[in-house]
Amino acid sequence: MFLFLHRHFFSLLRIPSQFFPTFTSLTFSTTLSMADYQMLDDVDADDIPHAFLCCVCLDLLHKPIVLSCGHVSCFWCVHKSMNGFRESHCPICRRPYYHFPTICEMLHQLIMKIYPAAYKKRESQILEEERKIGLFSPQFDSLTCGSQADIKVEHLEESANGQLNTITKNDKVVAELILEENSEVVRSTSVESLNSLQDPCAQKPQNQEKISVADVLCRVCTQLLFRPVVLNCGHAFCESCINSQVETLECEVCQFLQPKGFPNVCLELDQFLKEQFPEEYSLRRDSVQLELELAKSIKHDNPTSCSNEEGKKGTDLPRWGEVASKVHCAVGCDSCGMYPIIGDRYKCKDCLEEVGFDLCGDCYNTRSKRPGRFNQQHRPEHKFQLVRPQMFRNMRLGVVTEMLEEGSTTFIIANDEGSDSSDDIGAILEFSSDARESDEDDSDVDGRTQTNDNRTDQNYSQPT
Amino acid sequence: MIDFARVQKELQECTKDIEASGIRVTPKSDSLSHLVGIIPGPIATPYEGGTFQIDITLPDGYPFEPPKMQFATKVWHPNISSQSGAICLDILKDQWSPALTLKTALLSVQALLSAPQPDDPQDAVVAQQYLRDYQTFAGTARYWTETFAKTSSLGVEEKVQKLVEMGFPEAQVRSSLEAVGWDENLALEKLCSG
Repeated sequence: MFLFLHRHFFSLLRIPSQFFPTFTSLTFSTTLSMADYQMLDDVDADDIPHAFLCCVCLDLLHKPIVLSCGHVSCFWCVHKSMNGFRESHCPICRRPYYHFPTICEMLHQLIMKIYPAAYKKRESQILEEERKIGLFSPQFDSLTCGSQADIKVEHLEESANGQLNTITKNDKVVAELILEENSEVVRSTSVESLNSLQDPCAQKPQNQEKISVADVLCRVCTQLLFRPVVLNCGHAFCESCINSQVETLECEVCQFLQPKGFPNVCLELDQFLKEQFPEEYSLRRDSVQLELELAKSIKHDNPTSCSNEEGKKGTDLPRWGEVASKVHCAVGCDSCGMYPIIGDRYKCKDCLEEVGFDLCGDCYNTRSKRPGRFNQQHRPEHKFQLVRPQMFRNMRLGVVTEMLEEGSTTFIIANDEGSDSSDDIGAILEFSSDARESDEDDSDVDGRTQTNDNRTDQNYSQPT
Repeated sequence: MIDFARVQKELQECTKDIEASGIRVTPKSDSLSHLVGIIPGPIATPYEGGTFQIDITLPDGYPFEPPKMQFATKVWHPNISSQSGAICLDILKDQWSPALTLKTALLSVQALLSAPQPDDPQDAVVAQQYLRDYQTFAGTARYWTETFAKTSSLGVEEKVQKLVEMGFPEAQVRSSLEAVGWDENLALEKLCSG
């Protein structure tokens, strides 16, 4: 990137670079960080397709989050663009949302496979920033399927629900299927990444990581994702594999309830899949269309009104005026991601992290076992306490502290001036007493200045 | 903390399609928190043919807070203060989104030039004139464009002449002037440092 910049700059100047050996270093030394220098031996941002660039940092997606509108951004970019006081809006389409979604691990793995070097650099860069602010994004193990399975097992151990047990069995079958398909697909239909076709990568064989259909499977139909939607819990499914008819959408993998509103298709990912796996994609499209037609012919009197429903659910967001008094400003639920928490807030009394661990009323009542959003070491045995909304108290406190601060600064100023003039304090007193003796008419004024205001005394002292 | 890596990317992106958009963004000094944006006046408007300079200051929260933009060139427009150059545009205030960039924001400013909103004015005098007597408004706007937004193109030659007289080759003078947004002092600094 740096090299490119130089070339471009000099072509702009239309003069050979040797004329100005120090020129560029002068102009850009302060503006380019170490990370940019590191990018030298890496893929240029131009080589990364638009689908994998974050719209906020304009860099390779890092720990990508898919919002309910289907737009993708980095974990930190989403978090930073959220509003701590009221609903947030998608940076691209401005669709409102209330929940900070979980990272889409499938997409995270995919990007890591295609751009291992660029991703690693980005990772270390961000880890450095995280250390500076003392707040960490969720850390993944090398095998993320493991961590997901852990959560699931934990969840299932808790509840002795027969229904859920059957789901585990199903999941096991699904997992086996995935494994089988994995090995098959890798052998037969693996496709080189787009990247490998381009020059810079031809020199770097380590970038030619292969991705296969197995990396982008739907967890329900165990086939290539077709028109993928990503739920709030970060799991991706085909749009057609999700039941849009139900009142509350539940994730098939983690049984997590989707907040209101049906998620939109992640079009960037869909487009990528279409280009990457054209044959499989068209097969999937045909089969899904066939299914839809079959479904239509069966229940002709009950057509699927997806768009209507979406609209209906979309408008079903809480109105601000009604909930303003129950808002916990800048506090998010570590389970469902509701940010700010509206309603009851339960704060963990045992988590030591500065960011704390909080749950909204619903997640507290359902005994959610999900890990914290910022890598907190929260344990299930930790105790919670109910916290009241602090909006108005905060505002009042803010005013008081502001007043205190103002007071203290004036106090300091007064002190400073006192100490400045302390050397000549004897001289001042002498002077003022002299002045009083000589000018009897001004005695009142002098007396006031001496008792109340040092500054006037100082003014008097300056001419001497 | 400003995301300088992103600003750097934005500048690169902007220089790439300078031919298509006509919009330039150049750093004012070594720091990337102060920049100068240059937009051509949109055609078929009283601003046609003018080149407008916009001062850009990036707040600490950029890109999560909007950049501060102000016209450095005097403009006669209902939504731009004829005194201070302050711009009344929602995306530079509450409608900002971190997915917007300096280039897209400048494009919006350019669009504002071709589509004034006199009902939500920044300069009440201009807005009233726009609503009551459009012909006079257009005349004044055109006159201001001629007087203030074109002097730079006249002045350019003078600036070039001045620097060439100091003993720098003309090609270098032009390119450094261009690089610093036609600020002759900055250009001189650049020429001397090279």
